[in-house]
This record gives sequence, C-alpha cells and structure tokens, in this order.
Amino acid sequence: MSQMNGEGTVHARGLRKSFGDRVVLDSIDLDVACGEIVCIIGPSGSGKSTLLRCIDGLEEIDRGVLRVNGEDLGFRETPTSYQALKRKEVAAQRTRIGMVFQSFNLFPNMTAQENVMSGPVLVKGAPKAESRRRADALLTSVGLHGHGDHYPWQLSGGQQQRVAIARSLAMDPQVMLFDEPTSALDPERVGEVLAVMKDLAQRGMTMLIATHEMGFAREVADTVIFMDGGLVVEQGKPADVLGNPQEPRTCKFLESVL
Amino acid sequence: MTSTTDPVRADRDNQKLGGPDATSKPRVHRRGALEYVAWAACALVAFGVIRTLLTNENYQWDVVAQYVTAETVLRGLVMTVVLTILCMTFGALLGLFVAVLRVSPLRPVRILAGAYVTFFRGTPVLVQLIFWFNIAALYPNLAIGIPFTDVSQDIDVNRLISATTAAVIGLSLNQAAYQAEIFRGGFASVDKGQIEAADSLGMSRGTKLRRIIVPQSMPTIVPATGNQFIGMFKETSLVSVLGVGELLMSVQLIYARTYQTIPLLIVACLWYLFMTLLLSYPQSQIEKKFSRTRARVSNDPAPGLTQTELMGEAK
Repeated sequence: MSQMNGEGTVHARGLRKSFGDRVVLDSIDLDVACGEIVCIIGPSGSGKSTLLRCIDGLEEIDRGVLRVNGEDLGFRETPTSYQALKRKEVAAQRTRIGMVFQSFNLFPNMTAQENVMSGPVLVKGAPKAESRRRADALLTSVGLHGHGDHYPWQLSGGQQQRVAIARSLAMDPQVMLFDEPTSALDPERVGEVLAVMKDLAQRGMTMLIATHEMGFAREVADTVIFMDGGLVVEQGKPADVLGNPQEPRTCKFLESVL
Repeated sequence: MTSTTDPVRADRDNQKLGGPDATSKPRVHRRGALEYVAWAACALVAFGVIRTLLTNENYQWDVVAQYVTAETVLRGLVMTVVLTILCMTFGALLGLFVAVLRVSPLRPVRILAGAYVTFFRGTPVLVQLIFWFNIAALYPNLAIGIPFTDVSQDIDVNRLISATTAAVIGLSLNQAAYQAEIFRGGFASVDKGQIEAADSLGMSRGTKLRRIIVPQSMPTIVPATGNQFIGMFKETSLVSVLGVGELLMSVQLIYARTYQTIPLLIVACLWYLFMTLLLSYPQSQIEKKFSRTRARVSNDPAPGLTQTELMGEAK
C-alpha cells in the first residue's frame, strides 16, 4: 500500500486559507517527518491554530497541497482539480489524526472513561469490554488511574486535558495535533500536561504543537516554527530559532515573551 | 485639634459616649414608602375580588359544588388528559424529526422542514383544527394501496377523520412545529467545541447527533417541553369546537341544558387551574435539576446567580 509510506507525516505546499477577505494562512510550506516533534510559536492571530485546524480537517483550505499520513486531506487529486471526498472517507482520515484542543472539549455527558472509549466504540465499533480495559490503561498512562468514573466537571483543568489526550490516543492516531493545550490551564497545572506530552514525544509519536511554552519547545521539539501574520517567518532547530533567531520579527517576539 | 490617620477615630469618640464600635454596627436598608403603597393597593384589590366572589349570587357556588365532580365533567377531564398526552407524544416525536431535518446537510430538506414550521406556526391552531375536521371536502377518498400493483383500498375520508382524530392530528402537527423549534434551539446551544471534538474523532453525523448533541441539549429542551405540556393541557379546550368531548365540551353540554353557564365555566376553570398547578410542581423540579446540569454540561464554572436573583433588585 502506497499510503503506508506516508504514515505519520505531514506535508504542505503553498497552503492558503482565508476567512472572507482576511488571509490567515499564506503559502505555507511544511514538512513533518514520522516521529518528528514540531512546535509552532508566534503571537496570537499568527495562524498557528488555523494551521493545526486545517491539518485536522476542521477548516477547509482554499488552495495548495496538504497531505497528512501520505494522503491528500479531505480531497482526491484529479488531473484538473481536487475533488471533495465523501463524508465517510474524510471521517476515516480523521480517525488517524488526533487533536487536543485548548478548551479540552471533553464530552460533559460522559465519564472520563467513556470519553476515552468514545472514539473506539462509537466510531470504530470496537467491543466495549476491551475498549474499557484499554481506556483504563490509557488513563493510567496519563497519570489518572482511578479517575475513570469522574465526570469532566469533577476534574481539574489539567486532569481534563490529560483525559482529552488519552481520548485522542485511544484512536491510535499517527499524527497528534495540540492546539495551545496548556493555555487555558492554571499555571500550576501546566507541568502535568507537558509531562504527558513529553512522554508521548519520547515514544516516537509525530506531534505538531502550537504553544507559548518556550521552555517546553526548546527541550522537546526537533523543529521550531515561528509564524506571524499567516506566514512561516523562520523555522529550524530549537537552539537556532529560539537561541539565535535570524529574523527581526522572531527576535522581537522572543524578547516580548521571554 | 489632634490630627489622626485612623479613619475609625471619630467612632472611637462615639464609643466613649456609649455607641457601638464601628466594626460591629449593623448595615440597614430603609424600606421605601413605595413598598407600603404597593402593599396597600394589593390588599385593596384582593379585598374587592374576594368580596364580589362571595356576595355576587350569580356565581352560584352551590351549582359549582354540585357539578365539580359530576360524571360528565370527570369524563371530559379524562379526555383532556388523554388528548394532552397523545398530542404531546406525537408532537415531540415529529418535532424531533423535523428538527433533525432542519439541520440536514441537504438544502432542499432544510427548506422543506423550514416551510413546515413556518406554515404551522404562522396559522392559528383553531383554523388548523377546523381544517383537519373538514379535510374530507378536500380529499373525499383516500386510496391506500401498493404502488405499481392493483392492490388498493379506497377509504372514505369522512369516516376516517372523526372529530377526535382531527383533534389529535391538528394539535400534534401544530405542536410538532413548536417542538421542532425547541429542539433546534437546544441543538444550537451545544458548544461548538463539542462538535469539533466529535468531528476530530471521525464521528458520523448520526452518532454525533445521538451521543453528543441530543444528550447535551436536553437541559434546554426538557424544561421548555414541560412548559409546552402545560400549555397543551389548556390548548386542548380548542377542540371543543369540533365537538370532541373534552372538559370544556362537557361543561358546555351541561349548561346548554341547564343554562347555568357561569358556574359550569368556573367548574372547568377550577379543573384547568388544578391540573396546571399539579403539573407546575414537577416542572419547577425539572427546571431546577436541569439548571444544575446545564452548569455541569458546559466547560465553564457553575454560575453563582439564579435567574430570580438576577431579576430581583440589588440588596
């Protein structure tokens, strides 16, 4: 199978996205190898969230190439155009991409365990008993052993975000996207979520992370991308981009956040 | 005069004179004169109403007492209750169906569902009821058959649509339109992030609706539906014009014979009021329960103020 080659990769060429007249992503080129950890930094409104949302198929791109896990996302290329895939086909692609939201978005009508089971059981039709065991194991792996029967409102923000990560992992995604996963958390809860993400990074998961945590980016990322005004301004190894930025805009941003 | 920076200083002097310490003084709000005026006016109105109720002999309270548990009246009450339950059940089910159609990805389906709601909400329910009662004038014969075969059965619509069937159809179809709007409002109240999370997992439309959207919109849907239920209970009185033997029709039958119009209408009112009050207790409990769930369902912390506290004046 040809798509096996592309598992865990993300490639974009000339990606463009606008909301009405406002261009939020302009000619983005991106190459993420399997197992690579990419941190996307930049000021608010720079387009980092939109880029991740495009890669998850939550937003449809206007133009350009976007290949996730080796397949064109949401469309099939023909000699003259990109033809939209059927809803079912898009859904199948999405099961292989995990997304963690800034506001967690756990299902409040389900317990932590049911949240983690929701993907396998409701989407893949996996047997319940097995999914339950798997969910418990995943909850344990994010440090929430014994919290399975808690509802989201009974958990702290950090705990909710870790359940959300477990929920994404339950689908066995090949790419994980994190949209400012710690921005909505109390400062003392940030560490526990970053620890889970660090652990995940060490296990070889492809990860794209929009974040304001510069320390985390420096420590964990293979590549840091600085975005501003819908453009990739600078990208490279964290030591280069964060330690020795070449672009004046990058310098200015880093000065303001560090 | 010795200057000091202590703002309590003046009160210390006061304390020497036997007054309380400034830190322990109660905070008092003076009741305005307007409040006393309001109470007085209220008492006056109440007095007037009670006086006329007791002294005006035309109320004929003895007749009211005589008929309030009459068999005809009770049979009418049972009919009213049955109609309410039937029409609410059909109305809610059809309303859910219409609401789902209104969020369909297919535009023509959305338009059709929208037209349904517009028509049934835009015309008086009384007119709709009479319309259904006379539907035979429009379609005298209904042929039920299997398409592309000779198997078919003609049915006389006049016999099929009795007054009661017309009542159930009319009220249910009308209720469905209102109920569809309630469901749609409920669906719209679900946080966008929930839909995105479900989409991100690759959930199908049906699963999303059944497992995410419908359960989470219940806190807005259930209390509103409860109100509709109470409303429907009173609305059934309209079908008396079709001659359906519900509560209002029953008392009308009696006073057509005895000419005791007012006391019998009071009998009907008492029953409507009694049943409405009976239903409003579970309704308030439902509202209380779901206002709590509402807070839990959202990602935000529970709101501190209830509606009444917000409506009331600042203390």
